Amino acid sequence: MRISELFRLVYLNLSQNKFKVILTSIGIVVGTATIMMVIAIGTGGKQDVAEQFKNLNAGAIDISYESTNSSSSSGNSGGGFPGGGGGGFPGRSSGGGFSGGMAGGGFPRGGFPGGSGADDRINQEDVSLTEDDMDDLQVFVPGLSDATISFSTKADCDGGELEDTTSFTIAGVKDNYATLSNMTLSMGEFLTEENETNKEKVCVLGYNTALEIFGSGYDAYDGTVYIDDRPYTVSGVLEEMGTVSSGISPDEAIFIPYATGVKYLTGDEVSPTITLIAEDVNNVDTIKSYVTDVLLDSYPNSEFTITDAGSKMEAAMASNDTLTMLLIAMAVIVFIVGGIGIMNVLFVSVKERTNEIGILKALGCKQSDILKEFVFEASCISLIGALMGVMIALGITPIIERFSVTVVLSVSGAIISLLFGVLTGTIFGFYPAYKASKLIPIVALNQE
Amino acid sequence: MIDIKNLNKGYMLGEEYLPILKNINFHVDEGEFVAILGPSGSGKTTFMNVIGCMDISDSGEYYLDGLSIHEMPEEQLTEIRNKEIGFIFQNYQLISTYTVLQNIIMPLLMRGMDHRSAEEQCMETIKLLGIDHRLDHKPSELSGGQKQRVSIARAMAGNPAILLADEPTGALDTNSGKEVLKLFQELNAMGHTIVMITHDLKVAQSAKRICKIVDGRLSEYSVR
Ligand SMILES: Nc1ncnc2c1ncn2[C@@H]1O[C@H](COP(=O)(O)OP(=O)(O)OP(=O)(O)O)[C@@H](O)[C@H]1O
Ligand SMILES: [Mg+2]
Repeated sequence: MRISELFRLVYLNLSQNKFKVILTSIGIVVGTATIMMVIAIGTGGKQDVAEQFKNLNAGAIDISYESTNSSSSSGNSGGGFPGGGGGGFPGRSSGGGFSGGMAGGGFPRGGFPGGSGADDRINQEDVSLTEDDMDDLQVFVPGLSDATISFSTKADCDGGELEDTTSFTIAGVKDNYATLSNMTLSMGEFLTEENETNKEKVCVLGYNTALEIFGSGYDAYDGTVYIDDRPYTVSGVLEEMGTVSSGISPDEAIFIPYATGVKYLTGDEVSPTITLIAEDVNNVDTIKSYVTDVLLDSYPNSEFTITDAGSKMEAAMASNDTLTMLLIAMAVIVFIVGGIGIMNVLFVSVKERTNEIGILKALGCKQSDILKEFVFEASCISLIGALMGVMIALGITPIIERFSVTVVLSVSGAIISLLFGVLTGTIFGFYPAYKASKLIPIVALNQE
Repeated sequence: MIDIKNLNKGYMLGEEYLPILKNINFHVDEGEFVAILGPSGSGKTTFMNVIGCMDISDSGEYYLDGLSIHEMPEEQLTEIRNKEIGFIFQNYQLISTYTVLQNIIMPLLMRGMDHRSAEEQCMETIKLLGIDHRLDHKPSELSGGQKQRVSIARAMAGNPAILLADEPTGALDTNSGKEVLKLFQELNAMGHTIVMITHDLKVAQSAKRICKIVDGRLSEYSVR
């Protein structure tokens, strides 16, 4: 039979059983909607992760030191890219850049009363990483493309439109920090090498900081901020970065030259983070072991926290992937249930239409034509269901977004869901159709 | 046209073989109108299913238009049913979800014809049977006589070599029954070969020749 005529028959049958079509396709509707949401939420999750790590350089390796000696770093701590090492889980932002203490010392500060005697020697001294250490690492560790050193601390600031002194995160950074953490300026320029060498009192304001202190980036430029009562000239304002997963949140920070910060703010108490950039992301692990060796040479009794952005991103991606897999598994189950549902209804339908099938066969309808008609029916029912599913997915997207889940709908996602829906219906429709095609005409005819 | 030699058919009833058609010899020439007369349970429908290529015999030979049907696989039998045989059933066997027209042209669509040319080809028969004003109706909206006309139109749609009718008047009142029989005679006069099965002698008498089947054995009925 001609395909067009087969489809005419399919249309005839479906249009006379609209209610049944809807009932049959409910499983496919739900399945398609689910898989579409899975794709949208999965893509959204990926986008979230990418968003959170946009200030991270994939090849970045942070080295910081955490003393077990609680008296040491109270005012300041490592800044670095991912700060002192906040959790790698997306969405759990580790705020200003205070060290989270995820590795290294192992015991939370002061969290082990009397225990300090037990793990003597290690990390007992007040070690402070220096620019010399950074230079050492750059010389002795192969495969690095860049390196920088930074710290962050809190300091009282004044100036602009501020009515009271307010505490801000101050980040002491080198001139290459902006490039390495993907920051762009909306106005002026970032700190320069000259600022650094001359320990000049200049600063670059994060987007929100500029708003808070001056009301606008425009007003902030060339203005003066008093940090710890010393005047700093604003040489630039950053563009908005949004939330980042870890490290110094650029929007909320004030960036000053590293040397200036050491001179006026922290003194020797500084506990900076050295950030190395691997030329090749794949070599990060090798580089980490080199770093350990080099540092062991200089500080035999100290353990450093070495974290790399790549593995953090991986962890975040992995947890996102786990979520996606879970959702996919759910969609698969829904599809299987939906498929069995459609198969069930089609079996009933074949039974109901046994007489019709018998007539068709008596009139000389080929087995393959009957098979095709029933399979097409299943496909069309599932196509209708899949289309409804896509529409439902579109409908519930705003609701899901209200729960602050990032949902990224896409045409390709819709097409994939449609395909999945139609495929499921067709596969599960095949067996009933096959059964129908195998009916023996005289037996089928005599069945009422 | 039809040449059946020493045909046997029976059913297995549990362990036991139950012979229904016993050593049947049957011959029909082109242009004949034959009635097969027999009481209920005598094996008429069984025989008709064999002639109509819907069922196969246990032994014997069956030639239709020179084709050895008894040697054919189901796939070819399907094609023979579509091209060579026009079935008219006792209870019409129309597909209730299709329109009258769709029902009538189904055999042609199965051959790969498109809707329009199938409709054109059937139009003459449809007019002849007087159902041209009912084409868009559903079978359930027709009277018994009209339904049987539709089923006759469907049987004739593919211009088959032979029309097979199993109790064509069985479900009709006397008048519509008579009309259908008259129609058969007209069709026969136009050259169509018809084999009709009935348990009613009066019905059988509208045929040119009557065979009777009793207890699975077929014999010529005395010529009128
Ligand atoms: N599928 C089957 N299995 C077993 N026995 C069968 C089967 N079909 C028919 N029979 C038996 O074969 C015999 C003939 O049946 P058939 O239907 O050919 O009779 P018939 O002459 O058409 O009767 P009627 O006039 O009542 O329609 C019956 O005794 C019936 O019980
Ligand atoms: Mg019968």
